[in-house]
Amino acid sequence: MASSSSASGSGSASAVTERRGIPGAQFVEDVQTYLTQSGLDVGSALAFLQERLQQYKVVEMKLLAQQRDLQAKIPDIEKCLDVVATLKAKKGTGEELIADFEVSEGIYSQARIEETDSVCLWLGANVMLEYSLEEATGLLQKNLDNARASLEVLIADLQFLRDQVTITQVTIARVYNWDVHQRRIQQAVATTAQD
Amino acid sequence: MATSAGSWKGLERMSVEQLKAVKEQGDLEVNLLQESLSNIRTATTRLEIASSALNDLSLRPQGNQILVPLTASLYVPATLHDSQHVLVDVGTGYFIQKTMPQGKHYCDRKINLLKSNFDQLLEVASKKKNVADEAGVILQAKLKQLESSS
Repeated sequence: MASSSSASGSGSASAVTERRGIPGAQFVEDVQTYLTQSGLDVGSALAFLQERLQQYKVVEMKLLAQQRDLQAKIPDIEKCLDVVATLKAKKGTGEELIADFEVSEGIYSQARIEETDSVCLWLGANVMLEYSLEEATGLLQKNLDNARASLEVLIADLQFLRDQVTITQVTIARVYNWDVHQRRIQQAVATTAQD
Repeated sequence: MATSAGSWKGLERMSVEQLKAVKEQGDLEVNLLQESLSNIRTATTRLEIASSALNDLSLRPQGNQILVPLTASLYVPATLHDSQHVLVDVGTGYFIQKTMPQGKHYCDRKINLLKSNFDQLLEVASKKKNVADEAGVILQAKLKQLESSS
């Protein structure tokens, strides 16, 4: 049944209280104890848990959007690094590079890239800076490392969040089932009293 | 006008359930058409930008110094190699080399085609909207009638 026979408290000792501002969900071992400790009735407890679940969903949406942005950003940075590496390799060979570039969507033209010591990087917010090939490599590599690290943290956050969602959903089910069980017991007692 | 009156009579004969279905179907079709119109408008804008870009490029002499985008965020100084020809993406991975006037002509033809499609769709959408609105009006009248009779 939903209500556990053990009365060892409302939360597990190893539960994580929070991670980067995301509150940890409490695993309810005994519903009766949980309700007594929190001072809530079943309706209020369920409402609180549902609200918490909604909050988790909102945070998950935000994190997924950030993850999508990073997953799009990383290949772009890698591509930039490849281009800079190619320009570095061509440097000093006296060989010119013919590139097809996009003039506008679906229209391409040809440009001749002669030996160049610098590239321009679009930093956003209407800012473009000229860097030497070495500086550009350093900056792009740093950005790539940061993006990968951020993505790792983000994936861990999402995993933690999904665990909390699961725990909360299980808790909702257990509280609800416990309430149904209690009502049945009360009904049975009332029936026997009438008899 | 005659067709509108005919459709009105046809709608009048329908039951409440049928009218609801007609209205829902009409609204759904109108929404889909609105989406298509929005897509056509976006595509037209893109082609107009492409056409103006070609126009701008044709005015630049060959060997002119420009900043070339090698990726979305990396630009290098380069010179225009061929200012007379452009590659046009015609879809499904095919690119055709065209002269500047041909490229402009291609864009203009596409723009005209999209504009004619837009006008046709707009006409269909307005007709569908009228039918849905008519169905809504008749439905409201029938519901009021049912309320008053009960």
